Amino acid sequence: MTSSLNITSQPLAEQSVVMLSVAGRLDANTVSQLERALMDAQLSGHRAIVIDLGELTYISSSGLRVLLAGRSNARKRGGEILLCNLQPAVREILEMVGFSAIFPIFGSREQAVAAALTTSDQTD
Amino acid sequence: MDVREASLTIPAQMDQLHAASGFVREIAEEIGFSAIDLHQIELAVYEACANIVQHAYAHQGDGQIQILVQAERGRRIVITLIDTGTTFDPQAIPAYDPQQAIKGDAQVSGLGLFLIQRVMDDVRFEFCVSEDEAGRSGRFNRLTLIKNL
Repeated sequence: MTSSLNITSQPLAEQSVVMLSVAGRLDANTVSQLERALMDAQLSGHRAIVIDLGELTYISSSGLRVLLAGRSNARKRGGEILLCNLQPAVREILEMVGFSAIFPIFGSREQAVAAALTTSDQTD
Repeated sequence: MDVREASLTIPAQMDQLHAASGFVREIAEEIGFSAIDLHQIELAVYEACANIVQHAYAHQGDGQIQILVQAERGRRIVITLIDTGTTFDPQAIPAYDPQQAIKGDAQVSGLGLFLIQRVMDDVRFEFCVSEDEAGRSGRFNRLTLIKNL
């Protein structure tokens, strides 16, 4: 049995915002994929990164750590990471570790993108 | 009481953790845990096995983890993880502090153990010594994880 994670990246709004759609399992064996995607998004100049977790079925402490590190790196560049579409089991874990007080979390992509555009405008 | 018992032994390697946690999840699902509980049971087993691989067997390449599951229908699941690596002292690592993360510190410690202790109803770390029929003694670590339905 192997873990699998699929990440697709979609730039929005003239490169200031990028949407990462993350599907599958985010654990110690797959977390490097998200690390790389976050790094690529930041190096491409995207200030706001929206992560759609609608298809994420599992998250371990490795995944939580990468989200935290990604947020720290984004904020150093004046950016932000926003999360949306969390499944109940994943949301429960994020709330348990206090991440709901750290990350802006939205129920839909549209809400997250609207907030990301505001974040991105404020940092211009 | 309707009790199902099952066991699995895996090589102590990171790429085996999904198999271990998936094995326990399937049994937990059979006795009626909710989707959120199943995620939490899977997470606890994954994190506990990851600790064993990364800490107990940090200096040994060929260790094993034995996973024993006792599923009591309508009542609880008892998961026992056994390894023969270095004994893990949960008091020895700094506890995870959500405030540390809120302040923006990306280098948080103790997150895995924090999760295990939060999602399970009972968590026990034990260091054990056994003796076989020939009088040879062996030592092992036993971690018991319990979640009630």
